[in-house]
Amino acid sequence: MTTINRQATPQDPQEPEDGRTLHDDLHEIWGNPRGIKALTIVNHTTLGLRFMITGMAFFLLGGILSMLIRTQLATPDQNFMTPDIYSQVTTMHGTVMMFLFAIPVLEGLAIYMIPKMIGARDLVCPRLTSLGYFCYLFGGIILASSLVIEMAPNAGWFMYTPLSSSEYSPGLGSDFWLLGITFVEISALSAGVEIVVSILRTRTQGMALHKMPLFAWYILAMALMIVVGFPPLILGSILLELERAVGMPFFQVAGGGDPLLWQHLFWLFGHPEVYIIFLPAAGVISTLIPVFAGRPIVGYGWVVFAIIVTGFISFGLWVHHMFTVGIPQLAQAFFSAASMLVAVPTAIQVFVWLATLWLGKPKFKLPMLWVLGFLIIFVCGGLTGVMLALVPFNWQVHDTHFVVAHMHYVLVGGMLFPLMAGFYYWLPLFSGRMPSETIGRWGFWLTFLGFNGTFLIMHWTGLLGMPRRIYTYEAGNGWEIFNLLSSVASFVMSAGIAMVLIDIALHFRFGKPAKHNPWGADTLEWANAMPPSAYNFVSLPNIETRHPLWDNPDLPRTMAEGKHGLAVASHGRREMWGSDSITGKVREIVHLPGNSWWPFLAALALAVVCISLLTRLYPVAAVFVIVAGLFLLRWSWENGAHPKAAPDAEVNEGDPPLHSRTMSGPGVWAMATFSIANGSLFLSYLFGWFYLWTVSPEWRMPEASPLSLLVLVGAGVALTVGASIMEKLVRGLRARRDSGLMRGFYLSALLGAVQVGLVLWSLLSAGLEPTQTSHDAVLLVGLVYALFHGALAMILTAMQGLRVRCGYVGAHAPFEPAVVVQLWRYNLVTFWVLVGALGVLPRVMGG
Amino acid sequence: MQTAFKRLHLGHPAHLIIGLTLWSIWFVAVYGGLSVACAVAPPTPDQGSLTGLNLGLGIFSVATTALLVWLAWAGWKGGRELTGRPRFNALVSAGLYLFSAFGVVFTGMPIIGMPPCL
Repeated sequence: MTTINRQATPQDPQEPEDGRTLHDDLHEIWGNPRGIKALTIVNHTTLGLRFMITGMAFFLLGGILSMLIRTQLATPDQNFMTPDIYSQVTTMHGTVMMFLFAIPVLEGLAIYMIPKMIGARDLVCPRLTSLGYFCYLFGGIILASSLVIEMAPNAGWFMYTPLSSSEYSPGLGSDFWLLGITFVEISALSAGVEIVVSILRTRTQGMALHKMPLFAWYILAMALMIVVGFPPLILGSILLELERAVGMPFFQVAGGGDPLLWQHLFWLFGHPEVYIIFLPAAGVISTLIPVFAGRPIVGYGWVVFAIIVTGFISFGLWVHHMFTVGIPQLAQAFFSAASMLVAVPTAIQVFVWLATLWLGKPKFKLPMLWVLGFLIIFVCGGLTGVMLALVPFNWQVHDTHFVVAHMHYVLVGGMLFPLMAGFYYWLPLFSGRMPSETIGRWGFWLTFLGFNGTFLIMHWTGLLGMPRRIYTYEAGNGWEIFNLLSSVASFVMSAGIAMVLIDIALHFRFGKPAKHNPWGADTLEWANAMPPSAYNFVSLPNIETRHPLWDNPDLPRTMAEGKHGLAVASHGRREMWGSDSITGKVREIVHLPGNSWWPFLAALALAVVCISLLTRLYPVAAVFVIVAGLFLLRWSWENGAHPKAAPDAEVNEGDPPLHSRTMSGPGVWAMATFSIANGSLFLSYLFGWFYLWTVSPEWRMPEASPLSLLVLVGAGVALTVGASIMEKLVRGLRARRDSGLMRGFYLSALLGAVQVGLVLWSLLSAGLEPTQTSHDAVLLVGLVYALFHGALAMILTAMQGLRVRCGYVGAHAPFEPAVVVQLWRYNLVTFWVLVGALGVLPRVMGG
Repeated sequence: MQTAFKRLHLGHPAHLIIGLTLWSIWFVAVYGGLSVACAVAPPTPDQGSLTGLNLGLGIFSVATTALLVWLAWAGWKGGRELTGRPRFNALVSAGLYLFSAFGVVFTGMPIIGMPPCL
C-alpha cells in the first residue's frame, strides 16, 4: 500500500477517540508514494504542481534567451552572437515561451485547480494526466537539449517553409522542433480532453452549468480550443517531418506542393493559440476581481457570452498573419473584419471587470497589483491588435518590431501578469503560507516598469522601420537610443521577475502561516486544507450557488467532518461523483485508477521513438512504437471490473451505481472529445488535399486514379458490417443482454482485419511515388491514416472479446463496448469520406 | 427527428454554440467558396464588385443573417417565459445568435463593394 507524505492540517477532520479518522482512511487510498515510486503518482494536485514548476523552469530558460537577444540588440554592429546562434536563440525563445511555458503552465494551473473548484477529488483520467506530464517533460528536454549541442532550430518559432525545409535548414534543428513540439502536443491534447470531460461530468452534485465558477467556463473553452486547434499543427508537423526525412514534397512547389499550406496549418493553430493562452488568464482575473472587490461579478451571463464568442471567433482570424502573401483583397477584408470582431467580447470582459471594481470596495492587495498591470498592458495590446487588423497598416508594419511589441503586450500582459496574480492569490493554498507584500510589490513594479520600458519603445523602433529577426543593425538609422533603452529596461524587468521568484521561494520557509481562506474567497478550492490533501475533500457537498463559501461559510468544516456525500473509504476505491453535464445531478460514482508505472513507461517509450526519429534510426523507432502501444494497451487492461479497478460493484444504499456498470460514464465522453480532436486532424488533412488540388501551381493529378475503387469499397463494406455488429452488441448490452457477446466482438475484429487488409492491398497495388509528387504523398498519408484507425479498432475490439472471456465485460459491466463503438462510428464516417475525396472525386472532376 | 427537436428546446445549452457554429460554417463557406471560385473561374477585374460571385456570396450571407436573427428573436422571446437554468441558457443563447448575425453582417459587408479576386 502507498505511504502518506503529508502532515495533517487544521482543516483536516479532528481525530476521534479511536484514533483513526476518515482522513487517514482516505489518505491510505489516495496518498502519494515517495522515492522512485513518485514517478507513478497520478494525483492531479501533484501533477498540476509538476506542470507549473516545470513550466516555470522553461520560463527561466526562455527569459535567459530573451536577455541574450536584448544584449545583442543593445547597440549597433554587435558581434556578441553569430547570425546563426542569434537565429537559434530567437527561435527557441519563442518556441520555449509558447509551447513549453505558456500552455503547460496554464494547463498545470487548470489541472491543479479545476477539481478543487468543482468539488471533485481528481480529474477524470488521472493516468492520462501523468502520461501528459511525462510527454511534456521529455519533449521539452529533447527540444531544449538542441540548444546545448548548438543544433537548435533557427527558422523562427513558426517554422515557415521553405526556410525550415531541408534545402535551407539542412541540420537537425527543424527536426528537433517538429518532433519535440509534436511530442509536447500529445501532452496538451491529453490534458485538453480530460479537462473538458472533468468539467462537464464530474462537478459536485447540484452544480448546474450556470452555477459553475467562471474559471471553469474559461478553462472549458480553453480545453475545447486545444482539442480543436492543436491537430492542424500536429498534421503540419508530421507532413513537414515526412518531407524533411524522406522527401515527400508537401510544401515544395516543384513536386506539386505549396509552402503556403504550412502557413495555413500553422496559423489555424497559431491564432487560436493566443486565445488558448488568454482565456485561462482572463479566468484568473474574473476569479480574483470579485474576491478583492468583495461582491459578485457584474454580468456573469455576459462573461459566459464573451468566453463563447472568443472561443469561436478566434478560429476565424488566422489569415491576418498572412496579409502579405498574396491572398485576394476581399478574402483579406473578411479576416480583417473578423479580427476587429474579436475585440468585442474582450471589451465586454474589460467593462465587466471595471464595473465590478466600480461597484465593489476593492482592496489592493498584492494579487490586485498584477490585475491592474494586466488591465493597463492588455488593453494597450488589444488596441494595437485592432490597428494590425487593418490591412494597409498591417502591410506597413509587417515584420517590424511593432509586431513584436504588440505580441508581447498581448501575451505578457494577457498571460504573464494574470498568471502572477493567480500565483500570488493561490500561494496560501499551495503552501499554507502568505507571500511577502514588500518583496512582492518591488517585484511587481520592477516587472511592470521594465516591461513597458522594453516593449513600449519597440513600437517606435518598429514604426521607424526596424525589421524583426535581424541579428544586428547599422548605426545611423535612428534606432540606437531606442534599442539601448529597450535593452536596459528588459534587464529591469528581469530583476522584477527574479524578485517575484525569490519571494515565492522564500515564502515556503519564511512566509507567515495563512489563516483559512485568507482573501475571503467564494469558491470551493478554499474549502480544501492548506496545502490540500491528495483527495481534496472528505465529503462532496451539494452546491446550488455560485458563491458557496460566501453563502455558507461553515461549509469547509462540515465537508471536513464528512457530513456530505461519498464520505466513505472502506471499499478501497478512489471515488467521486459523476454528474449530469447540464444540471449537475449525480448520475454515477466514478471510480478512478490508482498510481501506475504505465503512463511513465509509455511516455519513456515515446521519447525513445522521438530520439530514434531524430537520429534516423527508423527500425528502433518502429520497435518502440510497438513497445509504447503495448504499454498503453496493458494500461487499458486495468479497467472496469478488473481486480485492480472495481471487481465488485457494491455501493452504499441510496448511492448511484459505479460508472463502469453504466453505459454513459465519463470514458464515453472522453472518447467523444478525443474524436473531436481526431476529426480536426482529419479535416485539416482534407483541407490540405483540396488546397493543394486547387491552389498549388505545379499540382499534377494523374490521368487515372492509382487507387482501386473496387478494393476501397470492399474495405468500406467490411468496415460497415463490422460497425453494424458492434452497434447491435452495444444495443444488446444497453438492454442488459450479453449472449454471443464474445463471438460478436471477435467477428467485428475479423471484419476490421479484412478492412485493414484491403486498404493495405489498395496501398501496395497503387504504385505510389510519394517522393515524386505531392499528390501521391497526400494519398499515402490518407491511406496510412485509415490503416492506423482500422488496426486500432480491430485490436481494441479483439481485446473486448478477451475481456468478456475474463469476466471484465458483460451485462454486469457494459461500459467499455460503449466506448469502443465510438471508434467504429468515427472510422465509418471518415473512411467513406476518404473514399469519396481520394477515390471518387478525382474520377468525377479530373485534374 | 421530432424527439431531437423536442430535446433541443430553447433552454438547452446546445443553443450556446449553435449560433456561432452557424457563423463558422458561413465563414468557411464564404472564404472557401471565394478561394475556389477565384482559382477555378475568376470573373474579369473590370466587372468590379458586380459579379455573380458577389451576388451568390451576398445572398448566402443575407439568408444566414435572417436565420440567425430569427433564432435570436425566438431565444429572447422564449427565454423570458422561462426561469432558472433554462432562462439563463435561452437568454445567453439569444445574445449569441444576435452577435452571430452581427458577425455575418460585419464580416460580410465587403462583399457589397469589393471585386472578388483582385
